[in-house]
Parts: sequence; structure tokens; C-alpha cells
Amino acid sequence: MTNIDIALLSFPVLLALIFLRIPIGLAMLITGIGGSYFINGSFLMIFAQLKNLTWGTFSGYSLSIIPLFLIMGQFATLGGMSQSLFKAAETWLGHRKGGVAMAAVGACAGFGAICGSSLATAATMGQVALPELRRYGYSGELATGALAAGGTLGILIPPSVILVIYAILTEQNIAKLFVAAFIPGVLAAIGYMIAIAIYVRLKPGSAGQRERASYPERFQSLLAVWPVLIVFIAVVGGIYGGIFTPTEAAAIGAFGTGVIALMNGGLTRSSLKLSILTTASATGMIFLIVFGAGVYNAFLALSQLPQTAAAYVGSQGFNPWLVMVCVLLLYLVFGCVMDSLSMILLTVPIFFPIMSALDFGLTPEEFALWFGIIVLIVVEVGLITPPVGMNLFVINAMAKDTPLSATYRGVFPFVLTDVIRVAILTMFPAITLVAVRLLY
Amino acid sequence: MFERIDRLIRWLAAVMAILGGIALIAVILSTVASVSGRALLFIGLGPIRGDFELVELGTGFAVFAFLPWTQINRQHASVEILTMHMGGVINRLIDLVGDGLMFAIAVLLAWKHWQGTLDKLAYGETTFVIQYPLWWAYASGLVGAFGFVLISFWCVILSIRAFVTGRDQVHGEIVH
Amino acid sequence: QEVTLRMHQFLPPQANVPAGVLIPWAEKIGTESGGRIKVEVFSAMSLGGTPPQLMDQARDGVVDIVWTLPGYTPGRFPRAEVFELPFMMTNAEATSRAYWDLFKSDMEMQDFKGIKILATWVHGPGVIHAKGEGVRKLEDMQGKKLRGPTRVINGLLAELGAEPIGMPVPAIPEALSKGVIDGTVIPWEVTPALRIAELVNTHTEFSGDTALYTAAFVLAMNQAKYDSLPDDLKKVIDDNTGAEFSAFAGKTQAAFDAPSRKIAEATDNDIVILDEAEVARWHEVADKVVDNWYGEMEAKGIDGKALRAKAQELITKYTK
Ligand code: NA
Ligand code: NA
Repeated sequence: MTNIDIALLSFPVLLALIFLRIPIGLAMLITGIGGSYFINGSFLMIFAQLKNLTWGTFSGYSLSIIPLFLIMGQFATLGGMSQSLFKAAETWLGHRKGGVAMAAVGACAGFGAICGSSLATAATMGQVALPELRRYGYSGELATGALAAGGTLGILIPPSVILVIYAILTEQNIAKLFVAAFIPGVLAAIGYMIAIAIYVRLKPGSAGQRERASYPERFQSLLAVWPVLIVFIAVVGGIYGGIFTPTEAAAIGAFGTGVIALMNGGLTRSSLKLSILTTASATGMIFLIVFGAGVYNAFLALSQLPQTAAAYVGSQGFNPWLVMVCVLLLYLVFGCVMDSLSMILLTVPIFFPIMSALDFGLTPEEFALWFGIIVLIVVEVGLITPPVGMNLFVINAMAKDTPLSATYRGVFPFVLTDVIRVAILTMFPAITLVAVRLLY
Repeated sequence: MFERIDRLIRWLAAVMAILGGIALIAVILSTVASVSGRALLFIGLGPIRGDFELVELGTGFAVFAFLPWTQINRQHASVEILTMHMGGVINRLIDLVGDGLMFAIAVLLAWKHWQGTLDKLAYGETTFVIQYPLWWAYASGLVGAFGFVLISFWCVILSIRAFVTGRDQVHGEIVH
Repeated sequence: QEVTLRMHQFLPPQANVPAGVLIPWAEKIGTESGGRIKVEVFSAMSLGGTPPQLMDQARDGVVDIVWTLPGYTPGRFPRAEVFELPFMMTNAEATSRAYWDLFKSDMEMQDFKGIKILATWVHGPGVIHAKGEGVRKLEDMQGKKLRGPTRVINGLLAELGAEPIGMPVPAIPEALSKGVIDGTVIPWEVTPALRIAELVNTHTEFSGDTALYTAAFVLAMNQAKYDSLPDDLKKVIDDNTGAEFSAFAGKTQAAFDAPSRKIAEATDNDIVILDEAEVARWHEVADKVVDNWYGEMEAKGIDGKALRAKAQELITKYTK
């Protein structure tokens, strides 16, 4: 059995474990450790690696944003901010069919403009919006699906951690990539809202109806969100004004919401304890998966399956567009079981040179920008495709009464809009490039 | 007796999670202080030297300390799409197998992290800026790592009990 | 083939050192062994872990060969720090040769015991890259938030009045664009990959024979894996490592400096070269850093003074 065979065999094993309700992080750890054993003929490599890998993953600076944004969401809820924020959003949008879910997507897009991470956007907006969606009679299926998809706007709308990594891997201009990401990001938000509108018409029982709010009511609702605005403006201003890293912004946000909750009387000894415990269980869940994905991805890299697959596609002398479709399909398939950051780190160094050599009728720089945005979208789709979709887990962990299978069903229409958007952006590179062409 | 041990175990997991939460709040406060200092360079203040390293120290300790709490409350993400249609006996068996595997992984991680800590102690490695000994940081993770072993062992006991008695465990509930 | 050696390193494969030094080396080992050794290069930490963990990965046998900086694990390889002290290095080739000699005489059986070191080299002269007016005199360092690569260099930056901020190399562009740091010290060679010329306005170089700083690298191998090779394959490894390969690696890495500097020259950025009088003022501060380092070495039972003198003597000997 070759290493490639072992890697190919690991997919059904991983899926079997996951579908037998073994915790997903645990399933990836076991498959990764087992795979490493079969490739090396011993546990020596993986055991030696585990001496440092756990601490390295848990203490990673960029991942520290996750518990910080989770606790920020807890404090925001304690301070009554999620209620008032959502009231404002739904007085403006809520009377439409599916309007509260649309408001949630809009709020995710707004949050995405200050946050470079999908997980953090999903976690924060989930904390804020999920209770409200349920209060207005939205089904768990639709509510968790919309929020998981909305969370991906955190990475689609710049700034985006993944784009920064892509820029470094491919030696591209970060600012131009951010500009190129903007129109596709807005299209994503619009696509999600259309998906909601169609969904509630096909499944009328899945969303409650809300009366149209009067304009005085609407403006009054805006007054109630000033603490949120202050925190958000501090965070936005801090990042764009060049004062904070995203992790620092998360800490500032948590501090600000904590202070507001304290002033509103929402933050007491017992509610603080509850906030910490809720943050703890979600953080433990997410980090076990991140850790498991790290071990599993290291095993895949060791087997050289991703590299071999990439080399095969590149060596066949295919039509460039056919290769592009194959690469995107490969990303979608890998995205079902892998996390986006590892996927970028693993595949871009191999795919990018191959794809650059093919002729798409673009200059090298335009190709790099366009390819980067398309890859960004497809790896981001991986965050919401079952069975392993980090955003699905983050949101589902907050919806205690919604089984994961319902979230899987609920996210389907959103994945569908993602696929349609990828197809359109692939066929018409100009949509992605027009903003860069105008500004530079 | 059984109930008393169960309460003690849950209390221990909660205590560790809250210690982790306190570390997280310390991370928030030190980051706010550092960012404020950096913004006020002109009046002679400055960032906390090595603030990134403090964030890493605090988060690393916290995440380890959170694992037992996630485990005792069965908060790990899993897919129940197939098993929900299976019988109670099969599900209790799956619980038992899953908890057994989690316990094995917990032991492996604690054992390896312990060795990693000893390595860092032996090498005398420090961080870049503050230059605190790295083994302190690793050792702080041992609290949660050993807690995870204990709590996931107790989960195996709970699963055996549920399997033998045929009574389902409470799932997805946070007990305070 | 008989033997597969896994090499792990932290940069993407198309970066200068992997593309110009590591991957060609791996191919050469394959050819000269008649295909009996295959070196698989795993780039950008694809086998997991963080760059500071690379040394442990080689030592513990997670992988067989790593390219890393001893400075990534502060406190563990104190003697290699001597080459990172300010105003030590002249050019990368000569300093790399000196590093190999000193490694053989003073480090192999001490700091690096238990790890098979295949090569030791340094990068080209370290340059200060900063936003705005940048650094034109010593006083400009005051309060500047600068990213430094290792413990010794962070200490130097602090002594010069700057606020050293530690972060991994890939985090530099975002930190620069967001103002988290005002600048960074790195050699020219790395700047295109990190888009540094687009993100800063001023580059500061030092006139004189020596550079402000350099950073020390090693190519390290798992000792047991090396010992397990048959003698003829050991010879293939030995023939392609050591003094000559170290000098070649340092020279090759530094050769990427000039084309990278050209990219910055083509922009509106200022390239400031501090004159000899100004550099003399920096030397005074640098002497304090050296004295501090002597003290730290003494606490570890190492004669830092003798070590630095020996290193300087070797560098002078190899500098043409
Ligand atoms: Na974003
Ligand atoms: Na997925």
C-alpha cells in the first residue's frame, strides 16, 4: 500500500467515525495519528510531534481571537446590547419575509468589515442574533444555516486573514487583494439574502412574521444601539486607524462590552461565571477540532496526496478552464473535511505556479488577484459544507435545541448561492478585477 | 456516594474552566493596557513589552483548562444524523466507545505534553522578548491536561454505567 | 531508493532560500547518491507545528532534516548568538565560514550535542525598514515599534531606544499595514516576498565594514537517522555539507539582496546610508549590548568575551 493509498483510505475511515457520532475533533485526531502510523510504520513521528503541537496550537496568537470574541459576545448579551442591536436591525428589515435573518446576514457583513476571521464573525454574530431569530419564530434550521453562512462574510469582506496569507504565499499586493475582494463580498451578502427570501417562500413555516415598524420607532431603535456603535467604532477605527491587530481589537471589544455590561448592571458575579463557562465549552470544542485538523492535515501533507493530485492535474495538458474547474472541485471536496487555513497553506504553493502557467487572457498580476479571490471563496465554502464545517459547529454549539443535521439542511441553500457565485466570478474575471482596474 | 463523586468532578471541571476564564480576562486587561500605552507613547507611556507573549501564555493555559469542562458537558461537536435513527443500546455503546477513545487521547496528550514540558525545562528555552522560561508556560497547560485525563476517565465510568443500567445520560446540558 | 529523508522548513517553496539553496541541495543529494537517497522537502510548515518547534522536530525525529534559526529557541543555543551581536558580520560568505569553524570548535559538543548539524550560515547585512521619515540618526530609534527576529536582536533594538515587538515573519506585512509596528529589521533578500517596499518609506543601511546585525541559521539533521545511514551514503551527506556548503548557502542567500534592493530603488522610497560619524555613535550603544551579553553568558558559565574575540578573528581571516 502506497502513502497515497493510505491517505485515500483515510477519507472513508474519517467519515465513518464522524457519522458514528465520534466527536469530530477526536475523529480527525485518531485518523491523523493512525495514518501517520501506517505511513511511518511506527508512532515515533506523531508521538514526538505531540510533545509540542498541543501547546503550539492552543497558545497560537492568531487563534486567541476565538475565545476573546466568544467572551465579547457573552458580555454584549449581558449588557443587553444584542437585544437592542437586533431590534434596530429588524425594525428596518424585519417586516420583510425572512427579514430578521436578512438583518442577521447584513449585520454579519458589517462585522466582517471589522474582523478578518470567519469563525470569530460566526461566533460573535451567532451570540447576538441566534436568540433573537429563535424569538421571532425562525426554525433552528434556517437560523443556524443563515448565521453559519453569514459568518463566512467575515473572511469574504476584507480585511481577511486568509487573503493576507495568500498574498504572502504568492507575493501579491495585500491592499489590491482587499480591493478585489470587496465586490465579491457584497455579492455574497446579497446572494445570502436572496437565498433567505426564496427559502421562506418555499417553507412558509420556517420564519415568523413581524409588523412593519414606524419610522419614529425605527430611529428610536437606533438610539438604543449607541453602546454597540461606540464599541464597534472603537474596534473599526482601531483596526483601520492602525492601532490594533485583530486579536487586540477582540480584546478591546471584550473589554468595552464588559464595561458597558458592568454599567448596565448586567455583569454580576454569577453572570460573569456563566459567561466564562459558556465561553469555555465553546472554546474547548473549537480548539479540539482545530487541533485535530492540524494533526490530520499534517498526515495528509506527509502522504503527499494533495501535492500528487495537484501535479497530476497540471501535467495532463488540459484546457485551462477545465483545469480551473477541476481545481475548484478539488477545493470543494477537500473543503468538506479540511479547514481553510491549512488548505491554503497546503495547496496554494502547488496550485499557484501550475495555474499561473496556463493562459486565461489576463496579466500575471490580474490572474493572481482573480485566482486568489476565487480560492478564498471556495475555501470559505468549506467552512459551511458538511460534515466538517467550522462555522456549522460554532453556530450549532450555540443552538442547544437544534441538531447538527438540521444545521446541515439549513445551510444548503447558502452553499448553493456560493457555488453559483463561484461559477459567475470564474466565468467573468472582470467582476472581480473592475474595482482594482478603477482604483489603480 | 456516586452522586457525590459526580458533583465533585463537575465542580473540579468548573473550577478549571473559571481559572481559564480568569486567565482570559487577564489577557484582555493586559492587551487593553498595552494598546493604551502604545497609543500614548507621546506622553511617555508605552506598550507592555512582550504583550504578544502574554496573550499566548494566557490563551494556552485557558484552552487547556477549558477542555475538561467541554468534555464533562458533552459539548464536543459531533454528527448525529445517522445515530439518531439507531436504538438506545447502540447509542450507549457508541457513547462508551467515544468516551474510551477520548480518554485514550487525553492520556496521550497529557503524557506527551508532560514530556514536552520536561524538554523545555532541560533546554532552558525562553520566550523572545520577556524571556520567561518556556517550561512555565508548558507547565501551566499541564493543569488542564491532567484535568482532562481525570474528567474523561469519569466520562468513561458514566458511559459504562449508562450502558449497564440502560438509562441514558444527560447530554448537552450545562450543570452549574 | 533506499532512504527517504524528510526536510521541513517554514518558508514557501518559491522563497529564495528554499528555491536557491534547500531544494537544489535535496536534488543534488538524490543525484550523487545514485538515487539511493530521496530528500522530500516539506515547505511552509506543512507537516505541522510552528517554526520555533523545528529544532525539536529534528532532534526528536519528527522529521529528518530542518532548516531553522537557533535564535527561534532563545536560551537554548547561547553560543550561536555571538554572530548576531551588533557590528560583527562583514559579508555573509566569510561570516558563514567563521560560523562553521566556531561551530566545530565551540558548539558541536556543547549546545548542539545530540543534533547533527549539516551547515551553519548567516544572511546578508540586516537593514532597518521603517515607515515615514524612518531612521536617519540614532535618536530616530526612540519609541519606534520594530519587529526583530531573535532574542539578541530584540535586545539590541531595545538598547537603541526602540520598542521591540516579537512576531513571526509572515505577520509582518499585516502588522506594518495596520500600524502595529513602525518598521522591521530584515535583510533585503526577504523584502520582496513580504512586500516591504510597498509598506514602508525608508530603508536604513550602515556604512563601514560591518553590518548592524545578522541572524544565524542551521541546517540540522536527526542524529540517529544520520548514524543509521550506511557509510557510503553518510559520505554523500558529508561531501555536500560542512564548511564549503555553509559558505555557499550564506553567499547564495546574500546574493538575493541586490535584486531585492533594486525593487526598493525603483520606488519613491528613501534608501539612507548612515555615514561613518553617525555609525560610530551606534557603536557606542552596541558596546552596551555586547557587555550585557557577556554578563548573560557568564551566568551560563560561558566565556563570552573569548568566544566573541575568536569569532571576530575568524571573520577577519575569511573576509577578503
Ligand atoms: Na473581513
Ligand atoms: Na466543510
